[in-house]
Amino acid sequence: MRILISIDDTDNLESPGTGALASQIAYDLESNCWGKSSFVTRHQLLVHPDIPYTSHNSAMCFSADIGEECLDRVITYAANFLERESAPGSDPGLCVAVLDRLQESGELIRFGQAAKQSVLTKESAYERAQQLGLHLSEHGGTGQGVIGALAGAGLRLGGNDGRLKGQLSFSAPGGIISVAALAGHDMIDEVRSLDGSAVADFDMVRLGDKVKTVLLDGRSVLLVVATAGASDGPRWQTCSRQLLKKY
Amino acid sequence: MIQHEADLGRNSWEGAARIAALCATFHPDDEDEQIADDLLSCYNCRYRRWTAVSFSCCKNMPFTN
Repeated sequence: MRILISIDDTDNLESPGTGALASQIAYDLESNCWGKSSFVTRHQLLVHPDIPYTSHNSAMCFSADIGEECLDRVITYAANFLERESAPGSDPGLCVAVLDRLQESGELIRFGQAAKQSVLTKESAYERAQQLGLHLSEHGGTGQGVIGALAGAGLRLGGNDGRLKGQLSFSAPGGIISVAALAGHDMIDEVRSLDGSAVADFDMVRLGDKVKTVLLDGRSVLLVVATAGASDGPRWQTCSRQLLKKY
Repeated sequence: MIQHEADLGRNSWEGAARIAALCATFHPDDEDEQIADDLLSCYNCRYRRWTAVSFSCCKNMPFTN
């Protein structure tokens, strides 16, 4: 069965970030032979004076394919992990969504989108989770992280929000590589231009210092922009961090 | 904790880099939370806390250009 595991509000200013904890849970899920984890995505939620957050208010989520008999073990492990590893002063929340059992996926997606636009309450998160049959639990502090955890699952499910955790590296002489070679990378599903213009497999791409993908249409997409300058150089270059900020 | 909010906004890339270059407490945030191309930028610092229109410094550094 395919599940989404989403966590939020696990850190403080000095501790490892929520992304590091999500990656560790994803790694441990595989180490324990419970299933296969996918990439972790970061989802930006609303920044507002009425919302308690450490510094950025982002949730982290990944999907995994697990054996049905492993579900309870995965949930228990993730819950214990958060209680053990979350930073003092944090308010961690955990959401586990079994996608095969999710009847109203649109409701979960709408909750995620709402968390980017408005201040939501814990009560509304628990109510929605119960309605949709999702696991939602708090593991310290005020437990306020359940809101972001549920929202992160919704945004991941929606497939059009957030950046993938981590940056990619390539073996590319001179930092130039073909679109076809990029698309062959394990972590890249598609190469797409930022403005929607067509990108051909044989086009060449100049790699920037940091190469990251974003979640679009449920896929890990590497966005590129047209290069300026010499016409005999690569047609495209990867997006800078600043261009990816809005994702 | 008192936090000084900067009037830089969220897109003053050069200003945020200039301030961070002079800051003794700059510490890079996790890679996933960095948004500025210049590593040394308040926007990439673990101690910046985003606000609706800008950010505040959790180390209480004065924002002077």
